[in-house]
Amino acid sequence: MAATGKVLVVIGLFLLPVLTYGDTCLAPHVKSQTYSTPEAIVSTETVLIVEFTVTCKNGLKNINLYADIGGRTLPATKTSEANKYQISITDEHKKLPSGSYNLRIFDEEGFAALRKAQRSGESTDSLKPLFTITMSHPGIWSGPMVQSEFVAAMSAIVVWWLAYTARSKLLA
Amino acid sequence: MKLWVSALLLTVGCFLPSFGEEESEARLLVSKNILNQYLVEGKDLTVDYKIFNVGSRVAFDVRLKDSSFPESSFSTVSGNLQVSWERIAPNSNVSHAVILRPLKSGYFNFTSAELSYLLSEDATERTVGYTSFPGEGGIVPEREFDRRFSPHVLDWLVFAFMTLPSLGIPFLLWYSSKSRYDPAKAKRN
Repeated sequence: MAATGKVLVVIGLFLLPVLTYGDTCLAPHVKSQTYSTPEAIVSTETVLIVEFTVTCKNGLKNINLYADIGGRTLPATKTSEANKYQISITDEHKKLPSGSYNLRIFDEEGFAALRKAQRSGESTDSLKPLFTITMSHPGIWSGPMVQSEFVAAMSAIVVWWLAYTARSKLLA
Repeated sequence: MKLWVSALLLTVGCFLPSFGEEESEARLLVSKNILNQYLVEGKDLTVDYKIFNVGSRVAFDVRLKDSSFPESSFSTVSGNLQVSWERIAPNSNVSHAVILRPLKSGYFNFTSAELSYLLSEDATERTVGYTSFPGEGGIVPEREFDRRFSPHVLDWLVFAFMTLPSLGIPFLLWYSSKSRYDPAKAKRN
C-alpha cells in the first residue's frame, strides 16, 4: 500500500512539470492592430490603443495578460472575441509624445515576477516577457503653424511694398 | 435642553448607519467621457471609460458593455464596446478607450454604459452598475466643420489666381517699356 503511494508521488512529481507547463502560452502567435490619436481636435488627451489576438501553440485560451509600457503596468482588457485583447493608454498630450512604444506583455507568472521586481526596486528590463508589441505614435497634429489668412495678408503686403517702391523710384 | 438632546441624538443617528456599513466589499465607480473638443461627422470620436475600485476587496469578472452607440449612427474605428477584466484590485483603476466615427450629424444623446461584477470569486449574483453619462452632444456636419476650421489653402490659391490679371498686366506693360528704354539710358551714362 505504502509502495503504491510512493509510486504515485513519484509519478506525480514527474507529471508536475508537464502540468505547470500547460499554464504558459507556448510559442505565442500575435496579430496586433494599433491606433493613436492623430490630431488634437479629435481628443483632448492622447489615446493609444493596441488590439491583439494571441494564438498559443498549446491551445491555451482565456489567459490573463498584463502589459508593461515604460514602467506603467496595466491589465490587458479581454474582449468579447476569444483570445482578443485590448490595451488602452490615455494621458495628456505631453506625457505621450511621438515615438515608438514598446509594450511588454506578461502572463500571470511573468506579472508576479514583474511586481516583485518593482516592489524591491530592481530593474525590470531583465525580465523576459511573453512577447513584445511595438507601436509607433506619429504625434499629434494641432493645426497649421501659421494661419493661411496670415500668409495671404503677408504676401499682399509684400506685393504692395514692391509696387510702391517701384513707383516712388519712377517719380524721384 | 431637550432640544439639545434631540439634536445630539439625531446627529448620532445619522452616523450610525455608516458605522455598520463599513466598505467590506468591492465597489466600482465608472466614468464615461467623450474626449473630443468637437464632435464631427466622419472624424474620430474618443470615448474614455475609467473604472475605480473604491471598495476594500477585489472585484471579480468585471464586464463593461456599452450598447448606447447604434450601428446605424456610429462605426467602430478601434477598440471594443464589450470588454471584461478578470479582477480589479481595491484602490486601483483601469481605463478603457474606444474610437468611434459618427456617421450622421445632429444631436445625439450619449447615455451610460452598463457594468457588472462579482463581489467574490464564487458569487452567483452579479452586481450591476452604470457609468456616468456624458449627456447630449451636437455632432457637426463635416462641411460645416471644414468651413470653420480647414486652412482654405485652395480658396486662397483661387483668390491669388483671380487677382493675378489686375496686378500682372500693368506690371508686364511697365516691365516691357522699362526694358526697352533702360539700356539706352545706361549707354548714355
